[in-house]
Amino acid sequence: MLVDFEIIKRAQAGDAAAFNEIVLAYRKRTLGTIARLISRPEDVEDVGQEVFLRLYFSLDQLRTAEVFEPWLYRLTVNAAYDYLRKHRRRMESRMSDLSEQQVVLADAMAGGRVDHEVRQRRQIAEAVDAMLSAVSEADRILLTLKEVEGLSLKELEKIYRVKENALKVRLFRARQRVLKAFGEAGHEPSAKGAAKAEI
Amino acid sequence: MNWTNRGDNNADLDALFGAYRDACPDPDASANFMPELWRRIEERQRSVFFLGRWARALVTAAAVLSLGMAAYLYIPHGSSSLFSVESYVEALAAGHTQDAPELPPAADEL
Repeated sequence: MLVDFEIIKRAQAGDAAAFNEIVLAYRKRTLGTIARLISRPEDVEDVGQEVFLRLYFSLDQLRTAEVFEPWLYRLTVNAAYDYLRKHRRRMESRMSDLSEQQVVLADAMAGGRVDHEVRQRRQIAEAVDAMLSAVSEADRILLTLKEVEGLSLKELEKIYRVKENALKVRLFRARQRVLKAFGEAGHEPSAKGAAKAEI
Repeated sequence: MNWTNRGDNNADLDALFGAYRDACPDPDASANFMPELWRRIEERQRSVFFLGRWARALVTAAAVLSLGMAAYLYIPHGSSSLFSVESYVEALAAGHTQDAPELPPAADEL
């Protein structure tokens, strides 16, 4: 835990300073998770604020310290899921956005304004984002939490309130769907190239 | 890449996810993060407060209306009493006075 349960208790009692302390402790990590879940840097703060807003209004339901972090993850997952569902149409029109971004990136590269590392990072982010856009929001979030955030099955069990075996099945199916969708779309050279470039 | 080769594919996918994690570090929040968060919290608190007041007013109005209706139904009204003291036959006769056929005069009246 990044904060003592005492601070959480004070925040539950309405202490604004204690709540600020919680936000400051978990903000960076939460924003990082959201950034990787939604792949929209411009909306990360907005979703992050929504997470802490929900935390503020549901803090009184928290009874023990152990469940705080899985609970915050659950709030993060729910907010990211809501965002992804709301912006599904925008996500579907990603191809036009991407091509525009790619033009800008190409211009910048031609002008030598973007260095090699930034270019590689962007390629990887775009490749993974395109790959995860091909599956449902639920698959995207589950895979990101497990494979990118590195959460264990035990942690996922607490977040999803689902048995480990059921999670394993869902993860396996999500992986298969990603591989299938990506294979069908014929995007693999760019993704693999992007991964290879970084590794 | 041959996507029919599942073992390779899974390893590639793991590598890609790992690279993605490194490519997307945790971002720093802007200076506006906390003020904006508190603005949203206060806004939500205000709307919850007003919603609560509306809900309370609505419940009070509904309770008053229910009491009024109960009182109206309970108090007997003179002309349109709910409980008739007439028998069924009397009520039937009263309702059919116009429809009753006119009887011929008796023989001794003629």
